[in-house]
Amino acid sequence: MKKKFIKLMAFVLILSFVLGGCSQNSEEKTPVTDEKPTQTEADNKGEIKTDIVIATAVDFITMDPLDANDTLSGGLQRTMMEGLFGFDKDMKIIPLLAESYTANDNATEFTFKLKQGVKFSDGTDFNADAAIVNLKRMADQTLGLKRNSLFKMIANNEKIDDYTVKVTLNEPFGAFVNTLAHPAALMVSPKALDEYGKDVSQHPVGTGRYIFDTWSPGEQLVIKQNPDYWGGASEFTSVTFKPVTENGTRVAMLQSGDADFIFPVPSEQIASLEGNSNITVERRPSIVTRYITMNTKKKPFDDVKVRQALNYAIDKEAYAQIVYNGFAKTSSSLLAPNVQFYDAQKPYEYDVEKAKQLLAEAGYPNGFETKLWSSNTSTMIKATQFIKQQLAQVGVTVNVENMEVGTLEDKVTGYPVGTPGEESDIEMYVIGWSPSTGDADWGLRPLASTESAPPVSYNAAYYSNPVFDAAIQGALETADPDKRAEQYKIAQKQVWDDAPMLYLVVDDNTFAYNNKIEGITIIADGSMDLSGGKLVK
Amino acid sequence: MLRYIVKRILAVIPTLILISIFVFMFVRFIPGDPARRVAGPDATLEDVEMIRETLGLNKPVFEQYKDYILGLLHGDMGTSLKTKRAVTYEIGLRYMNTVTLTISSLVWSVIFGVLIGVFSGKNRSKWQDYAGMTFAVSGISLPSFWLGLMLIQIFSVKLKWLPTVGAEGFKSLILPSITLGASVAAIIARFTRSSIIEVMKEDYIRTAYAKGLKDKKVIWKHVFKNSMIPVVTVVGLQFGFLLGGSVVTESVFAYPGLGSLLIDSVNFRDYPMIQSLILIFSMNFVLINLIVDLIYAALNPEIKLQ
Repeated sequence: MKKKFIKLMAFVLILSFVLGGCSQNSEEKTPVTDEKPTQTEADNKGEIKTDIVIATAVDFITMDPLDANDTLSGGLQRTMMEGLFGFDKDMKIIPLLAESYTANDNATEFTFKLKQGVKFSDGTDFNADAAIVNLKRMADQTLGLKRNSLFKMIANNEKIDDYTVKVTLNEPFGAFVNTLAHPAALMVSPKALDEYGKDVSQHPVGTGRYIFDTWSPGEQLVIKQNPDYWGGASEFTSVTFKPVTENGTRVAMLQSGDADFIFPVPSEQIASLEGNSNITVERRPSIVTRYITMNTKKKPFDDVKVRQALNYAIDKEAYAQIVYNGFAKTSSSLLAPNVQFYDAQKPYEYDVEKAKQLLAEAGYPNGFETKLWSSNTSTMIKATQFIKQQLAQVGVTVNVENMEVGTLEDKVTGYPVGTPGEESDIEMYVIGWSPSTGDADWGLRPLASTESAPPVSYNAAYYSNPVFDAAIQGALETADPDKRAEQYKIAQKQVWDDAPMLYLVVDDNTFAYNNKIEGITIIADGSMDLSGGKLVK
Repeated sequence: MLRYIVKRILAVIPTLILISIFVFMFVRFIPGDPARRVAGPDATLEDVEMIRETLGLNKPVFEQYKDYILGLLHGDMGTSLKTKRAVTYEIGLRYMNTVTLTISSLVWSVIFGVLIGVFSGKNRSKWQDYAGMTFAVSGISLPSFWLGLMLIQIFSVKLKWLPTVGAEGFKSLILPSITLGASVAAIIARFTRSSIIEVMKEDYIRTAYAKGLKDKKVIWKHVFKNSMIPVVTVVGLQFGFLLGGSVVTESVFAYPGLGSLLIDSVNFRDYPMIQSLILIFSMNFVLINLIVDLIYAALNPEIKLQ
């Protein structure tokens, strides 16, 4: 009897420990507002915080602009280095180290006027020679750097005078200025390239607002103010970036003041921050477009009616709510609205009846069975279950296969070049795309042009349409924005109406910061923009 | 003694060679193409092929293995496919962090675990026992990410006593060590308890009590020492595991250790990094086993090293 009683007590003790912990957790969320004591403390001492800390989800990979393909590294490189062009907050192209440019009609010759009086942080002058050293490095396909192929169309660089450079391309490429706005085209000090060689990836030197300080991989990277920056020194004397994988920890860092800015803010944690008057949560649309490819070479997806039917069968608003906690907007083109030359299409409104009718017309009144591939992240597991449940409403049975990313890539791309879509195992595949140049070409060509079928690129729908292909090519053959816009309009309409994809949503980027700073933002491509960063006084 | 140690270390070499071959083969059997991972999510086939060549992944596997082993003999573990930095540099940065964290969690959890175990075992089926085992069960059952986040909420966000993340100085070690050590302390407590209970049944303990020795003396002089052998084994094993780094604790506290590095490398198919990490982990185990054997001999002179 006594023994039983003690056992019971022990059980109650454990239970109270665990539950006590839980309730503490939920209590934690409400009173975060009263964080003022620390703030007044700082005020009393009269200190103005000029060193700030930013927590990110992943670590940086490299500081060599030409060798980086993650947006995070790209964004950080932009704080230390600048290209001829850059993006503003809305991914509109702005001139940075170039003052202006002219191009010939068929987009093969571009002449750039460079900004004068700019110096790299190691004292080297930025001029035509420095620009050419960099352009040559970009075009050199023997270096084996990840982004070299973006610049393979550069044929020749010519110095007209100390501040004018003429670049000749070996084929028309209307999106060239966009490519030069890409983080891969940041200008590195020629002296640093000489001195460090390949190790420039650990010692970046540019003309930017900040100068590289220290980097301890996995722990932190520090940049400090460039007092001689041509656009005026930054307000922050230093910025420390810390990779913090765990979502909850990042949020706690902002709450405790250990970080001033965090990105990304996981959507399920936003509510816990929004009540806090010392913290601002912001969301801005990204250029990540989410969709499901359907193998257009296989039955039943060879019929456009089937593909359109599935587009009608999914409630995209609900998808954004359930999968992204509302932090996403429904797609209105294969391009996200912040991508250049985006053109809104007529949405496939959620309509189960219409979907059923189209399926019946296509000869599948009772639906069919198919399989859906995706990665196995928690978001994708939620997404695929939602899709399965929605498509079941129109009689389509979906067998979900969530796979580890490497396995998934092997399944999608593990065929020799030129394998027809009929022979691929792929049917439906949920994926997303973020065109890092912010240009329509990179948002459309890799996803839907005939030449881009796997394994060459990412047209996993094996979509092939001559009108689309011609428009994409036509747009590249001119540098005239109006003509390009016209071609991309045609391409977007074609791929929307043919529906080789089931168009889902465009993600939001969410980030949060405390009231000591303002102006740091996440631009649509998912990279951090510190250029407007200020202290709140 | 010294001869024994040298012999044991030499005997390890064939094991390590076998491990290196297995790991080398296994990482290449996992589906997923490192060249594609390195090339990035929006690379074309052309980029991928170019990168495969620069990374030397298009060479025959046998040749790749030969290069790897020749490199190892020169102390060169290759270059990380992900960051292009030397593997020895990347591991070196994190190795001491992991060792520091492991030792600091192990020290408190061994002291705490053994004390709880001794009191629970000695007072079997009394309230001290139930209290101790309640602690032990909670220590094992509380998920460490939950415990870690809870500690951060209390000690960093609310009280602002300790930093949330980092690996600088003693203060930043406290929360991760508690989180990492909680389950180890619990395991040690349970092992100690059962071992104490076993030893208490022995004839010589009865004799010790019979000849009128005080309780304290019996427990600490006779029971404790004799019941430590299984505990030392467990501590050794835990030490080995912890030296492999803890993914969960490291990611909750953004602590730059080996666990997150391994997971990251597996996800990235960073072959040289995976190979080297596994090899190092194996060597850790081998060394720890050796130390454990030496401690056995010290604890019980009947155990001879041969």
